Amino acid sequence: MIELQDALRKKEIWAIGGGKGGIGKSLITGNIGIHLARLKKNVLLVDADLGGANLHTTLGIGVPETTLSDFLNRRVENIQDVIIKTSIPNLSLISGAQDFLDAANPNFAQKTRLLRHLETLDADYILLDLGAGTSFNILDFFLFSDHGILVVLPEPTAIENAYRFIKSAFYRRFKKVVANQNIKDVIDAAMDQKNAMGIRTPFDLIERVKSMEQEVGEILELEVLKFRPKLVVNQVRTKNDIQIGFSMKSACQKYFGINLEYLGYVEYDDCVWQSIRSKRPLAIEYPYSRPSRCIERIVHNLLRKEQLTLSMLY
Amino acid sequence: MKKIEDLNFYELLEVSPAASAQDIHKAYERVRRIYDPNSIALYSLFTADETAAIHRRIEDAYRTLIYEDNRRKYDAKLRERDEMPEMPDIPDIPASSPSKAYEPASARTLPPLPEAKPFIDEAEPQYAPPPPEKPQSEEIATVSQFIGEFTGPAIKALREQLGISQRTVANQTKVGLRYLDYIEAEEFRKLPARPYLRGFIMLYAKALGCDAERMAGDYMKRYDAAMAAKT
Repeated sequence: MIELQDALRKKEIWAIGGGKGGIGKSLITGNIGIHLARLKKNVLLVDADLGGANLHTTLGIGVPETTLSDFLNRRVENIQDVIIKTSIPNLSLISGAQDFLDAANPNFAQKTRLLRHLETLDADYILLDLGAGTSFNILDFFLFSDHGILVVLPEPTAIENAYRFIKSAFYRRFKKVVANQNIKDVIDAAMDQKNAMGIRTPFDLIERVKSMEQEVGEILELEVLKFRPKLVVNQVRTKNDIQIGFSMKSACQKYFGINLEYLGYVEYDDCVWQSIRSKRPLAIEYPYSRPSRCIERIVHNLLRKEQLTLSMLY
Repeated sequence: MKKIEDLNFYELLEVSPAASAQDIHKAYERVRRIYDPNSIALYSLFTADETAAIHRRIEDAYRTLIYEDNRRKYDAKLRERDEMPEMPDIPDIPASSPSKAYEPASARTLPPLPEAKPFIDEAEPQYAPPPPEKPQSEEIATVSQFIGEFTGPAIKALREQLGISQRTVANQTKVGLRYLDYIEAEEFRKLPARPYLRGFIMLYAKALGCDAERMAGDYMKRYDAAMAAKT
Protein backbone atom coordinates (compact mmCIF):
# COMPACT_ATOMS: atom_id res chain seq x y z
CA MET A 1 0.00 0.00 0.00
CA ILE A 2 2.79 2.37 0.93
CA GLU A 3 4.63 1.58 -2.29
CA LEU A 4 1.49 2.29 -4.22
CA GLN A 5 1.15 5.65 -2.56
CA ASP A 6 4.76 6.44 -3.32
CA ALA A 7 4.28 5.49 -6.92
CA LEU A 8 1.28 7.73 -7.20
CA ARG A 9 3.02 10.49 -5.35
CA LYS A 10 2.36 13.83 -6.82
CA LYS A 11 3.27 17.18 -5.45
CA GLU A 12 0.38 18.86 -3.73
CA ILE A 13 0.05 22.52 -2.96
CA TRP A 14 -2.07 23.52 0.01
CA ALA A 15 -2.95 27.13 0.71
CA ILE A 16 -4.06 28.31 4.13
CA GLY A 17 -6.09 31.51 4.21
CA GLY A 18 -9.11 32.92 5.93
CA GLY A 19 -9.76 36.58 5.37
CA LYS A 20 -9.27 37.86 8.88
CA GLY A 21 -5.90 38.48 10.49
CA GLY A 22 -4.73 36.94 13.74
CA ILE A 23 -6.78 33.78 13.48
CA GLY A 24 -3.87 31.38 13.53
CA LYS A 25 -3.14 30.82 9.84
CA SER A 26 0.63 30.86 10.30
CA LEU A 27 0.48 28.75 13.41
CA ILE A 28 -1.66 26.12 11.73
CA THR A 29 0.46 26.16 8.57
CA GLY A 30 3.68 25.73 10.52
CA ASN A 31 2.35 22.91 12.63
CA ILE A 32 0.70 21.09 9.76
CA GLY A 33 4.12 21.27 8.11
CA ILE A 34 5.84 19.77 11.13
CA HIS A 35 3.33 16.94 11.40
CA LEU A 36 3.70 16.17 7.70
CA ALA A 37 7.48 16.21 7.99
CA ARG A 38 7.23 13.73 10.84
CA LEU A 39 5.35 11.42 8.49
CA LYS A 40 8.51 11.47 6.33
CA LYS A 41 7.03 13.78 3.73
CA ASN A 42 9.19 16.34 2.08
CA VAL A 43 7.55 19.61 3.02
CA LEU A 44 8.18 23.15 1.90
CA LEU A 45 6.51 26.04 3.69
CA VAL A 46 6.12 29.25 1.74
CA ASP A 47 5.29 32.42 3.58
CA ALA A 48 3.09 34.08 1.01
CA ASP A 49 1.90 36.60 3.57
CA LEU A 50 3.81 39.29 1.71
CA GLY A 51 4.16 42.38 3.79
CA GLY A 52 3.27 40.68 7.05
CA ALA A 53 5.36 37.57 7.14
CA ASN A 54 5.97 35.77 10.39
CA LEU A 55 5.87 32.09 9.59
CA HIS A 56 9.55 31.87 10.49
CA THR A 57 8.73 33.04 14.01
CA THR A 58 6.13 30.34 14.60
CA LEU A 59 8.83 27.85 13.58
CA GLY A 60 11.37 29.44 15.89
CA ILE A 61 13.74 30.54 13.17
CA GLY A 62 15.52 33.87 13.43
CA VAL A 63 15.30 36.43 10.68
CA PRO A 64 16.45 34.61 7.55
CA GLU A 65 19.04 36.03 5.19
CA THR A 66 17.36 35.26 1.93
CA THR A 67 13.67 35.74 1.48
CA LEU A 68 10.95 35.57 -1.08
CA SER A 69 11.38 39.20 -2.04
CA ASP A 70 14.93 38.46 -3.17
CA PHE A 71 13.44 36.06 -5.62
CA LEU A 72 10.62 38.34 -6.67
CA ASN A 73 13.04 41.20 -7.31
CA ARG A 74 15.36 38.90 -9.22
CA ARG A 75 18.26 39.40 -6.86
CA VAL A 76 18.22 35.64 -6.80
CA GLU A 77 17.47 33.88 -10.05
CA ASN A 78 16.71 30.41 -8.81
CA ILE A 79 14.01 29.75 -6.23
CA GLN A 80 16.18 26.97 -4.78
CA ASP A 81 18.50 29.63 -3.40
CA VAL A 82 15.91 31.19 -1.12
CA ILE A 83 14.91 27.89 0.48
CA ILE A 84 16.09 27.65 4.08
CA LYS A 85 16.56 24.30 5.79
CA THR A 86 14.95 24.18 9.20
CA SER A 87 16.12 22.18 12.20
CA ILE A 88 13.28 19.76 11.58
CA PRO A 89 14.16 17.01 9.11
CA ASN A 90 12.25 17.10 5.81
CA LEU A 91 10.98 20.61 6.48
CA SER A 92 12.20 23.66 4.62
CA LEU A 93 10.97 27.20 4.39
CA ILE A 94 10.81 30.12 2.03
CA SER A 95 10.43 33.09 4.26
CA GLY A 96 8.84 36.38 3.44
CA ALA A 97 10.42 38.23 6.30
CA GLN A 98 11.98 41.65 5.97
CA ASP A 99 10.70 42.06 2.52
CA PHE A 100 10.62 45.17 0.46
CA LEU A 101 7.88 47.58 1.24
CA ASP A 102 6.38 47.00 -2.17
CA ALA A 103 6.72 43.25 -1.97
CA ALA A 104 3.17 43.07 -0.66
CA ASN A 105 1.94 43.89 -4.14
CA PRO A 106 3.84 41.77 -6.64
CA ASN A 107 2.81 42.43 -10.20
CA PHE A 108 1.34 39.83 -12.45
CA ALA A 109 4.65 38.79 -13.98
CA GLN A 110 6.27 38.32 -10.59
CA LYS A 111 3.37 36.27 -9.38
CA THR A 112 3.29 33.94 -12.38
CA ARG A 113 7.04 33.52 -12.17
CA LEU A 114 6.74 32.48 -8.53
CA LEU A 115 3.92 30.04 -9.23
CA ARG A 116 5.82 28.58 -12.19
CA HIS A 117 8.92 28.02 -10.09
CA LEU A 118 6.92 26.49 -7.25
CA GLU A 119 5.64 23.88 -9.66
CA THR A 120 9.16 22.79 -10.52
CA LEU A 121 10.25 22.30 -6.92
CA ASP A 122 10.96 18.87 -5.58
CA ALA A 123 8.71 18.47 -2.55
CA ASP A 124 5.79 16.29 -1.60
CA TYR A 125 3.81 19.11 -0.10
CA ILE A 126 4.07 22.82 -0.53
CA LEU A 127 2.13 24.81 2.04
CA LEU A 128 1.32 28.42 1.28
CA ASP A 129 0.66 30.63 4.25
CA LEU A 130 -1.56 33.42 2.95
CA GLY A 131 -2.04 36.82 4.47
CA ALA A 132 -5.20 38.44 5.72
CA GLY A 133 -7.62 40.17 3.42
CA THR A 134 -9.12 39.35 0.06
CA SER A 135 -6.67 41.03 -2.30
CA PHE A 136 -6.19 39.51 -5.74
CA ASN A 137 -2.78 38.12 -4.85
CA ILE A 138 -4.11 36.18 -1.92
CA LEU A 139 -7.10 34.92 -3.89
CA ASP A 140 -4.90 33.82 -6.77
CA PHE A 141 -2.63 31.81 -4.51
CA PHE A 142 -5.68 30.25 -2.91
CA LEU A 143 -7.19 29.31 -6.27
CA PHE A 144 -3.90 28.07 -7.64
CA SER A 145 -3.47 25.51 -4.87
CA ASP A 146 -4.76 21.95 -4.93
CA HIS A 147 -6.42 22.35 -1.55
CA GLY A 148 -7.55 25.67 -0.16
CA ILE A 149 -7.91 25.63 3.60
CA LEU A 150 -9.91 28.31 5.36
CA VAL A 151 -9.29 29.10 8.99
CA VAL A 152 -12.02 30.72 11.08
CA LEU A 153 -12.57 31.49 14.72
CA PRO A 154 -15.99 30.95 16.29
CA GLU A 155 -16.59 34.70 16.21
CA PRO A 156 -18.86 36.78 13.99
CA THR A 157 -15.97 38.90 12.71
CA ALA A 158 -13.92 35.95 11.53
CA ILE A 159 -16.95 34.21 10.04
CA GLU A 160 -17.99 37.33 8.18
CA ASN A 161 -14.53 37.59 6.67
CA ALA A 162 -14.46 33.91 5.83
CA TYR A 163 -17.69 34.22 3.84
CA ARG A 164 -16.33 37.30 2.13
CA PHE A 165 -13.21 35.39 1.29
CA ILE A 166 -15.18 32.48 -0.15
CA LYS A 167 -17.32 34.81 -2.19
CA SER A 168 -14.36 36.77 -3.55
CA ALA A 169 -12.41 33.64 -4.40
CA PHE A 170 -15.48 32.17 -6.01
CA TYR A 171 -16.19 35.17 -8.21
CA ARG A 172 -12.55 35.52 -9.15
CA ARG A 173 -12.56 31.93 -10.27
CA PHE A 174 -15.67 32.62 -12.31
CA LYS A 175 -13.99 35.53 -14.00
CA LYS A 176 -11.02 33.39 -14.95
CA VAL A 177 -13.09 30.84 -16.85
CA VAL A 178 -15.19 33.40 -18.65
CA ALA A 179 -13.91 35.05 -21.81
CA ASN A 180 -16.86 37.23 -22.72
CA GLN A 181 -16.33 40.78 -21.50
CA ASN A 182 -20.05 41.42 -20.93
CA ILE A 183 -20.29 38.47 -18.57
CA LYS A 184 -17.13 39.59 -16.81
CA ASP A 185 -18.81 42.92 -16.20
CA VAL A 186 -21.84 41.18 -14.73
CA ILE A 187 -19.60 39.21 -12.36
CA ASP A 188 -17.83 42.40 -11.36
CA ALA A 189 -21.15 44.04 -10.68
CA ALA A 190 -22.31 41.05 -8.65
CA MET A 191 -19.36 41.49 -6.32
CA ASP A 192 -21.09 44.61 -5.12
CA GLN A 193 -23.71 43.38 -2.69
CA LYS A 194 -25.98 46.34 -3.43
CA ASN A 195 -25.80 46.00 -7.19
CA ALA A 196 -28.57 47.39 -9.32
CA MET A 197 -29.29 44.10 -11.08
CA GLY A 198 -30.59 42.45 -7.96
CA ILE A 199 -27.95 39.72 -7.97
CA ARG A 200 -27.58 38.69 -4.38
CA THR A 201 -26.47 35.09 -4.33
CA PRO A 202 -24.30 33.02 -6.66
CA PHE A 203 -27.51 31.35 -7.82
CA ASP A 204 -28.84 34.68 -9.05
CA LEU A 205 -25.56 35.30 -10.83
CA ILE A 206 -25.54 31.96 -12.61
CA GLU A 207 -29.13 32.38 -13.66
CA ARG A 208 -28.31 35.80 -15.01
CA VAL A 209 -25.30 34.47 -16.92
CA LYS A 210 -27.39 31.62 -18.26
CA SER A 211 -29.89 34.06 -19.62
CA MET A 212 -27.04 35.75 -21.47
CA GLU A 213 -25.25 32.64 -22.61
CA GLN A 214 -26.55 29.23 -21.63
CA GLU A 215 -23.23 27.43 -22.17
CA VAL A 216 -21.20 29.78 -20.02
CA GLY A 217 -23.74 29.43 -17.22
CA GLU A 218 -23.31 25.68 -17.34
CA ILE A 219 -19.54 26.02 -17.20
CA LEU A 220 -19.93 28.17 -14.10
CA GLU A 221 -22.16 25.54 -12.52
CA LEU A 222 -19.40 23.01 -13.06
CA GLU A 223 -16.93 25.38 -11.47
CA VAL A 224 -19.16 25.58 -8.41
CA LEU A 225 -18.94 21.82 -8.02
CA LYS A 226 -15.18 21.83 -8.43
CA PHE A 227 -14.63 24.54 -5.84
CA ARG A 228 -14.30 22.68 -2.56
CA PRO A 229 -12.57 24.79 0.07
CA LYS A 230 -11.77 23.17 3.38
CA LEU A 231 -12.56 24.55 6.78
CA VAL A 232 -10.68 24.58 10.07
CA VAL A 233 -12.24 26.15 13.16
CA ASN A 234 -9.53 27.44 15.46
CA GLN A 235 -9.68 28.32 19.16
CA VAL A 236 -12.62 26.10 19.91
CA ARG A 237 -13.74 26.35 23.53
CA THR A 238 -17.09 24.55 23.66
CA LYS A 239 -18.99 21.88 21.83
CA ASN A 240 -21.13 24.58 20.29
CA ASP A 241 -18.00 26.08 18.77
CA ILE A 242 -17.26 22.76 17.09
CA GLN A 243 -20.81 22.74 15.81
CA ILE A 244 -20.19 26.04 14.02
CA GLY A 245 -18.12 24.19 11.44
CA PHE A 246 -21.09 22.02 10.54
CA SER A 247 -23.37 25.01 10.52
CA MET A 248 -21.08 26.88 8.13
CA LYS A 249 -20.92 23.82 5.92
CA SER A 250 -24.70 23.72 5.72
CA ALA A 251 -25.02 27.46 5.20
CA CYS A 252 -22.44 27.41 2.40
CA GLN A 253 -24.22 24.56 0.70
CA LYS A 254 -27.50 26.41 0.82
CA TYR A 255 -26.25 29.92 0.09
CA PHE A 256 -23.34 29.41 -2.31
CA GLY A 257 -24.14 25.90 -3.44
CA ILE A 258 -20.54 24.94 -2.72
CA ASN A 259 -19.29 22.03 -0.73
CA LEU A 260 -17.28 23.22 2.21
CA GLU A 261 -15.35 20.34 3.73
CA TYR A 262 -15.06 20.48 7.48
CA LEU A 263 -11.53 19.26 8.08
CA GLY A 264 -11.35 19.72 11.79
CA TYR A 265 -11.05 22.08 14.69
CA VAL A 266 -8.25 23.17 16.99
CA GLU A 267 -9.02 23.45 20.66
CA TYR A 268 -8.18 26.56 22.58
CA ASP A 269 -5.35 26.18 25.04
CA ASP A 270 -2.90 28.51 26.73
CA CYS A 271 -0.03 26.29 25.64
CA VAL A 272 -0.40 27.74 22.13
CA TRP A 273 0.22 31.19 23.49
CA GLN A 274 3.13 29.93 25.57
CA SER A 275 4.74 28.22 22.61
CA ILE A 276 4.52 31.41 20.57
CA ARG A 277 5.98 33.39 23.45
CA SER A 278 8.90 31.00 23.74
CA LYS A 279 9.26 31.07 19.92
CA ARG A 280 9.21 27.32 19.69
CA PRO A 281 6.74 25.45 17.50
CA LEU A 282 3.73 24.01 19.27
CA ALA A 283 4.16 20.54 17.79
CA ILE A 284 7.67 20.39 19.24
CA GLU A 285 7.22 22.17 22.54
CA TYR A 286 3.88 20.57 23.44
CA PRO A 287 3.47 17.60 21.10
CA TYR A 288 0.86 15.92 23.28
CA SER A 289 -1.22 18.99 23.99
CA ARG A 290 -4.79 19.03 22.78
CA PRO A 291 -4.28 21.69 20.09
CA SER A 292 -1.33 19.79 18.70
CA ARG A 293 -3.37 16.59 18.62
CA CYS A 294 -6.15 18.44 16.85
CA ILE A 295 -3.76 19.64 14.16
CA GLU A 296 -2.47 16.11 13.79
CA ARG A 297 -6.00 14.95 13.19
CA ILE A 298 -6.47 17.65 10.57
CA VAL A 299 -3.34 16.43 8.78
CA HIS A 300 -4.67 12.89 8.79
CA ASN A 301 -8.00 14.04 7.43
CA LEU A 302 -6.20 15.93 4.68
CA LEU A 303 -4.08 12.96 3.73
CA ARG A 304 -6.99 10.56 3.74
CA LYS A 305 -9.22 13.11 2.00
CA GLU A 306 -11.75 12.79 4.75
CA GLN A 307 -13.71 15.30 6.74
CA LEU A 308 -15.51 15.47 10.05
CA THR A 309 -18.98 14.01 10.16
CA LEU A 310 -21.72 14.82 12.58
CA SER A 311 -21.77 11.37 14.07
CA MET A 312 -18.29 11.97 15.48
CA LEU A 313 -19.74 14.61 17.74
CA TYR A 314 -22.24 12.49 19.54
CA MET B 1 -27.56 23.23 -7.94
CA LYS B 2 -30.71 24.59 -6.37
CA LYS B 3 -31.83 27.67 -4.56
CA ILE B 4 -33.04 27.28 -1.02
CA GLU B 5 -36.61 27.88 -2.10
CA ASP B 6 -36.35 25.01 -4.58
CA LEU B 7 -34.93 22.44 -2.18
CA ASN B 8 -37.34 19.69 -1.33
CA PHE B 9 -38.00 18.99 2.33
CA TYR B 10 -35.47 16.18 2.51
CA GLU B 11 -32.75 18.33 1.02
CA LEU B 12 -33.68 21.16 3.32
CA LEU B 13 -33.32 18.99 6.42
CA GLU B 14 -30.25 17.29 4.93
CA VAL B 15 -31.60 13.79 5.34
CA SER B 16 -32.02 11.02 2.83
CA PRO B 17 -35.53 10.20 1.66
CA ALA B 18 -35.10 6.88 3.45
CA ALA B 19 -34.51 8.50 6.84
CA SER B 20 -36.46 7.23 9.80
CA ALA B 21 -38.78 9.45 11.80
CA GLN B 22 -36.18 9.66 14.51
CA ASP B 23 -33.49 10.77 12.05
CA ILE B 24 -35.84 13.42 10.76
CA HIS B 25 -36.51 14.64 14.25
CA LYS B 26 -32.78 14.88 14.99
CA ALA B 27 -32.05 16.58 11.69
CA TYR B 28 -34.82 19.06 12.34
CA GLU B 29 -33.40 19.99 15.72
CA ARG B 30 -29.98 20.42 14.17
CA VAL B 31 -31.03 22.43 11.13
CA ARG B 32 -33.30 24.58 13.23
CA ARG B 33 -30.38 25.46 15.43
CA ILE B 34 -28.21 26.29 12.41
CA TYR B 35 -30.78 28.68 10.98
CA ASP B 36 -31.64 30.26 14.28
CA PRO B 37 -31.69 34.04 13.89
CA ASN B 38 -28.92 34.28 16.48
CA SER B 39 -26.69 31.65 14.91
CA ILE B 40 -23.32 33.23 14.26
CA ALA B 41 -22.52 30.77 11.50
CA LEU B 42 -24.97 32.66 9.31
CA TYR B 43 -23.58 36.03 10.18
CA SER B 44 -23.48 38.35 7.17
CA LEU B 45 -24.80 35.66 4.83
CA PHE B 46 -28.55 35.93 5.19
CA THR B 47 -30.73 38.88 6.09
CA ALA B 48 -33.15 38.64 9.00
CA ASP B 49 -36.07 38.21 6.61
CA GLU B 50 -34.33 35.41 4.76
CA THR B 51 -33.52 33.59 7.97
CA ALA B 52 -37.13 33.90 9.05
CA ALA B 53 -38.29 32.50 5.71
CA ILE B 54 -35.88 29.58 5.96
CA HIS B 55 -37.07 28.95 9.47
CA ARG B 56 -40.66 28.79 8.36
CA ARG B 57 -39.78 26.33 5.62
CA ILE B 58 -37.89 24.13 8.07
CA GLU B 59 -40.97 24.02 10.31
CA ASP B 60 -43.12 23.11 7.31
CA ALA B 61 -40.68 20.41 6.30
CA TYR B 62 -40.64 18.91 9.76
CA ARG B 63 -44.38 18.91 10.13
CA THR B 64 -44.81 17.29 6.77
CA LEU B 65 -42.21 14.58 7.18
CA ILE B 66 -42.77 13.64 10.80
CA TYR B 67 -46.37 12.52 10.28
CA GLU B 68 -46.61 9.33 8.34
CA ASP B 69 -49.75 10.27 6.44
CA ASN B 70 -48.42 13.63 5.36
CA ARG B 71 -45.07 12.17 4.49
CA ARG B 72 -46.56 9.50 2.29
CA LYS B 73 -48.53 12.12 0.41
CA TYR B 74 -45.50 14.35 0.08
CA ASP B 75 -43.38 11.45 -1.18
CA ALA B 76 -45.98 10.71 -3.81
CA LYS B 77 -45.88 14.34 -4.88
CA LEU B 78 -42.10 14.22 -5.16
CA ARG B 79 -42.26 11.06 -7.22
CA GLU B 80 -44.63 12.78 -9.59
CA ARG B 81 -42.07 15.50 -10.06
CA ASP B 82 -39.34 12.85 -10.44
CA GLU B 83 -37.41 14.24 -7.53
CA MET B 84 -37.33 11.06 -5.57
CA PRO B 85 -36.18 7.62 -6.64
CA GLU B 86 -38.89 5.00 -6.52
CA MET B 87 -38.30 2.96 -3.44
CA PRO B 88 -38.82 -0.79 -3.37
CA ASP B 89 -41.07 -1.17 -0.33
CA ILE B 90 -41.22 1.57 2.25
CA PRO B 91 -37.77 1.09 3.76
CA ASP B 92 -38.10 4.63 5.07
CA ILE B 93 -39.70 3.48 8.27
CA PRO B 94 -37.79 1.32 10.71
CA ALA B 95 -38.93 -2.24 11.12
CA SER B 96 -40.05 -1.69 14.68
CA SER B 97 -42.44 1.02 13.62
CA PRO B 98 -46.14 0.33 13.85
CA SER B 99 -46.64 1.22 10.22
CA LYS B 100 -45.87 -2.38 9.38
CA ALA B 101 -49.36 -3.12 10.45
CA TYR B 102 -50.66 -0.94 7.64
CA GLU B 103 -49.26 -3.25 5.02
CA PRO B 104 -51.84 -5.32 3.23
CA ALA B 105 -52.15 -8.72 4.82
CA SER B 106 -50.98 -10.44 1.66
CA ALA B 107 -47.62 -8.69 1.86
CA ARG B 108 -46.89 -10.18 5.24
CA THR B 109 -45.11 -13.49 5.26
CA LEU B 110 -46.27 -14.43 8.75
CA PRO B 111 -48.42 -17.54 8.86
CA PRO B 112 -51.94 -16.93 10.14
CA LEU B 113 -52.09 -17.10 13.91
CA PRO B 114 -53.87 -20.10 15.41
CA GLU B 115 -57.28 -19.29 16.77
CA ALA B 116 -56.89 -20.04 20.43
CA LYS B 117 -54.19 -18.02 22.04
CA PRO B 118 -55.75 -16.42 25.02
CA PHE B 119 -52.63 -14.70 26.34
CA ILE B 120 -52.30 -12.68 23.16
CA ASP B 121 -55.82 -11.38 23.52
CA GLU B 122 -55.11 -10.11 26.97
CA ALA B 123 -51.75 -8.63 26.15
CA GLU B 124 -51.47 -5.26 24.53
CA PRO B 125 -51.80 -5.58 20.78
CA GLN B 126 -48.36 -5.80 19.24
CA TYR B 127 -49.28 -3.33 16.56
CA ALA B 128 -51.79 -0.58 16.58
CA PRO B 129 -54.84 -1.42 14.52
CA PRO B 130 -54.93 0.30 11.15
CA PRO B 131 -56.37 3.77 11.52
CA PRO B 132 -59.85 4.25 10.15
CA GLU B 133 -59.94 5.78 6.72
CA LYS B 134 -60.71 9.41 7.16
CA PRO B 135 -61.90 11.71 4.47
CA GLN B 136 -58.76 13.66 3.73
CA SER B 137 -58.26 16.62 1.53
CA GLU B 138 -55.67 16.28 -1.21
CA GLU B 139 -53.59 19.05 0.22
CA ILE B 140 -51.00 18.19 2.79
CA ALA B 141 -52.38 19.02 6.18
CA THR B 142 -50.21 21.16 8.36
CA VAL B 143 -50.68 21.62 12.06
CA SER B 144 -53.36 24.17 12.54
CA GLN B 145 -52.50 26.59 15.24
CA PHE B 146 -54.37 25.20 18.19
CA ILE B 147 -56.04 27.97 20.13
CA GLY B 148 -57.93 27.01 23.26
CA GLU B 149 -56.76 25.17 26.32
CA PHE B 150 -54.76 21.96 26.13
CA THR B 151 -56.91 19.63 28.17
CA GLY B 152 -56.48 15.88 28.03
CA PRO B 153 -59.37 15.32 25.64
CA ALA B 154 -58.22 18.29 23.54
CA ILE B 155 -54.78 16.74 23.18
CA LYS B 156 -56.34 13.47 22.19
CA ALA B 157 -58.55 15.16 19.64
CA LEU B 158 -55.58 17.05 18.24
CA ARG B 159 -53.58 13.85 17.96
CA GLU B 160 -56.39 12.07 16.16
CA GLN B 161 -56.89 15.02 13.88
CA LEU B 162 -53.25 14.71 12.86
CA GLY B 163 -53.70 11.01 12.24
CA ILE B 164 -50.98 9.89 14.63
CA SER B 165 -51.44 6.74 16.66
CA GLN B 166 -50.65 6.60 20.35
CA ARG B 167 -48.03 4.02 19.55
CA THR B 168 -46.21 6.41 17.22
CA VAL B 169 -46.16 8.99 19.98
CA ALA B 170 -44.93 6.37 22.41
CA ASN B 171 -42.16 5.29 20.03
CA GLN B 172 -41.01 8.82 19.51
CA THR B 173 -41.28 10.12 23.05
CA LYS B 174 -40.47 6.87 24.86
CA VAL B 175 -43.38 7.62 27.16
CA GLY B 176 -45.33 4.46 27.91
CA LEU B 177 -48.67 3.85 26.21
CA ARG B 178 -50.40 3.57 29.55
CA TYR B 179 -49.25 7.01 30.60
CA LEU B 180 -50.33 8.47 27.30
CA ASP B 181 -53.76 7.05 27.99
CA TYR B 182 -53.81 8.53 31.47
CA ILE B 183 -52.67 11.90 30.14
CA GLU B 184 -55.44 11.97 27.58
CA ALA B 185 -58.02 10.79 30.10
CA GLU B 186 -56.70 13.23 32.71
CA GLU B 187 -56.35 10.52 35.30
CA PHE B 188 -54.04 12.68 37.33
CA ARG B 189 -53.86 10.30 40.27
CA LYS B 190 -52.29 7.58 38.20
CA LEU B 191 -49.71 9.81 36.59
CA PRO B 192 -46.17 10.12 37.95
CA ALA B 193 -44.96 13.01 40.08
CA ARG B 194 -45.34 16.54 38.80
CA PRO B 195 -41.85 17.16 37.33
CA TYR B 196 -41.88 13.86 35.42
CA LEU B 197 -45.34 14.52 34.12
CA ARG B 198 -44.29 17.94 32.90
CA GLY B 199 -41.45 16.30 30.99
CA PHE B 200 -43.89 13.85 29.43
CA ILE B 201 -46.17 16.64 28.31
CA MET B 202 -43.30 18.58 26.79
CA LEU B 203 -42.25 15.51 24.81
CA TYR B 204 -45.80 14.83 23.76
CA ALA B 205 -46.21 18.42 22.59
CA LYS B 206 -43.05 18.19 20.49
CA ALA B 207 -44.28 14.97 18.94
CA LEU B 208 -47.46 16.76 17.92
CA GLY B 209 -45.55 19.81 16.76
CA CYS B 210 -47.27 22.08 19.27
CA ASP B 211 -45.83 24.79 21.44
CA ALA B 212 -44.39 22.65 24.23
CA GLU B 213 -44.25 25.39 26.84
CA ARG B 214 -47.85 26.39 26.29
CA MET B 215 -49.17 22.85 26.29
CA ALA B 216 -47.26 21.92 29.42
CA GLY B 217 -48.35 25.15 31.10
CA ASP B 218 -52.03 24.56 30.35
CA TYR B 219 -51.94 20.94 31.30
CA MET B 220 -50.06 21.45 34.54
CA LYS B 221 -52.52 24.16 35.56
CA ARG B 222 -55.32 21.64 35.26
CA TYR B 223 -53.23 19.07 37.04
CA ASP B 224 -52.53 21.41 39.95
CA ALA B 225 -56.17 22.42 40.24
CA ALA B 226 -57.35 18.82 40.25
CA MET B 227 -54.76 17.71 42.77
CA ALA B 228 -55.49 20.65 45.09
CA ALA B 229 -59.21 19.97 44.95
CA LYS B 230 -58.83 16.33 45.94
CA THR B 231 -56.48 16.75 48.88
